[in-house]
Amino acid sequence: MRIIIQTFLDGIMLGGVLSLAAAGFSLIFGVMNVVSLAHGAMVVIGAYLAYVCWSLLGVDPLLMIPLIMGILFILGFYIQKTIISWAVERSTLEASLLVTFGLALVLRNSLDIVFSPDVRSVSPGYSFMNIGIGFLSVDVVRLIGLIASLCMLFFLSILLKKTSFGRKIRATAQQSFAAELCGINVQRVYALTFGVGCAFAGAAGVIIGIIMPFSPNSEGHWTINAFVVVVLGGIGSPAGALIGGLLLGLIETFTALIIGPSFTNAMMFLILVIMLLFRPQGLLGHAFGESR
Amino acid sequence: MIPVSSNNFFQIRVLIPLSLSLLIFLIAPMFLSTYHIRVLQFFFFSVGIAISWNILSGFSGYWSFGHTLYIGVGAFVAGKFAPIIGLQYGKIFVLVASMLSAGLFCAFLAFILAYPILRLRGIFFAIAMLGIAELTSELSSNFDWIGGAMGLIIPEASPANIDPAVFYYYIFLLMAVIILMVAAYIKKSRFGYGLVSIREDEDTSKMLGVPTEKYKITASVISGALVGILGAVYGFNLGYFTAPSVFRVDFSLNMILYNLIGGIGTIFGPVIGAAILVFLTKVVLSKLLNIHILITGLLVIIIVLSAPGGIIGTVNSLIEKRQASKSTNAPKN
Repeated sequence: MRIIIQTFLDGIMLGGVLSLAAAGFSLIFGVMNVVSLAHGAMVVIGAYLAYVCWSLLGVDPLLMIPLIMGILFILGFYIQKTIISWAVERSTLEASLLVTFGLALVLRNSLDIVFSPDVRSVSPGYSFMNIGIGFLSVDVVRLIGLIASLCMLFFLSILLKKTSFGRKIRATAQQSFAAELCGINVQRVYALTFGVGCAFAGAAGVIIGIIMPFSPNSEGHWTINAFVVVVLGGIGSPAGALIGGLLLGLIETFTALIIGPSFTNAMMFLILVIMLLFRPQGLLGHAFGESR
Repeated sequence: MIPVSSNNFFQIRVLIPLSLSLLIFLIAPMFLSTYHIRVLQFFFFSVGIAISWNILSGFSGYWSFGHTLYIGVGAFVAGKFAPIIGLQYGKIFVLVASMLSAGLFCAFLAFILAYPILRLRGIFFAIAMLGIAELTSELSSNFDWIGGAMGLIIPEASPANIDPAVFYYYIFLLMAVIILMVAAYIKKSRFGYGLVSIREDEDTSKMLGVPTEKYKITASVISGALVGILGAVYGFNLGYFTAPSVFRVDFSLNMILYNLIGGIGTIFGPVIGAAILVFLTKVVLSKLLNIHILITGLLVIIIVLSAPGGIIGTVNSLIEKRQASKSTNAPKN
């Protein structure tokens, strides 16, 4: 019994971070129908920026989240403005898969050159602390990661629901043509959305950097992870990302417990394929799909 | 969109350069170093997988991002099947029988997958194929009797009096030529036109009476079987392989890349694309291994942005433009 509750807790803790890592991807996918294969690279860039801040400046990485989000926002904004919008304009939507994949290769190789392919980790003072609650034990870092992820997801949700910028994003996502008729600059909204998506990837990267080791090659893992979370939970909304992330976290920890740790990836892909076959829009459905 | 260019595979102006280059490739091993023979081997392999990908994804517009599934499955089927046959009928028989069994198994696999997976469209189909390839790779390394984690040793199938590199060079060349001819035949056939109509507008073509389901499944089976056979040869050529050495995501993406550079949906596009990219990565960039991926990535971005129709598509549209301007300039009487 104890081990099941402990596994459940671990799954939730892991799931919080997985949700945050997928939230930006989900937004970009929901609004523009673009699957950004460079998303994992953005997450890893966030982790490396946190590493730089922590090892060179000695600043606590969590305090640097706003700055890192700002940097990735600008990066994402210009990537969408140039590469992706050009590709979608000149070719098909599938071409966006290819350019973002090309981008992921470029970013991964650049990180390899700058930081070397070694596995790194960020370990601030609280890294190895544990809290015991009754018979359960909780990693402080993971708890902080979970809380930070939930805060960020809440913030994203407020941004989308309450602000005028969020209303513009939702309008564009529902019907870009009608939104354009109402005077919204759709290309600009797309660029801003991509920027926001990348910013949240960066924030997730910071938290991931604290709780687990990373290297430029973990980029592919985070892209796939984002896709699985979105396909599980639902496209476009932070709530979908949260549910998908938590479910994936639980699935991973329970697979490791019941079947064996080497089967977690296999289980993840199995669930991806099954979900695609039966409900490709995810459990919560497409957040912006009402009028499509 | 990519223009549906008329297929002139069997015309003299195509057949002569084709047979000439074939002749050169046939006698080339006598003059080349083993390294260059291996590069050409890889080139033929790349041509084969790229054209096979093109039969499903280029013609019908269903972009598969996980075609390495069939390379891996083909290699593993061959690796499991070859020791069962044994050497009593000779080495060539082992090779051919393993290739056929790999082809049949992959055709069967593609047939089973086709019904559920081909209902998905666009990005969802692409990612579903990627997921299945990764799932198969993970499973093959997690079950001991498949042996993906430990690795499989496949018996040597090249005859004793020939250098294995040269032997597999000819096998890969043969396969590339066969696959090129299959693709050219399909493109000219009613089936090929049906596939292209699915790419242009699936619902309309279904309404007009094209048996879209049947065509998609057939294309998927042919494509899977051909890649599976190539995978078997690739496995024999490696001699020893693990799951990560045959289920490679970069194979899946290279198939797309070769087509993209040359021209998706054309016959010679994948050949041109594979020639450029293999030459670039294996010969030009072999000294610059640390920025090799970066250059490939940049190349993908540049090609998608500057020539969405690939080299053949761009050349075709240039020719069309010239002809159009000629016909408007021509004096009318």
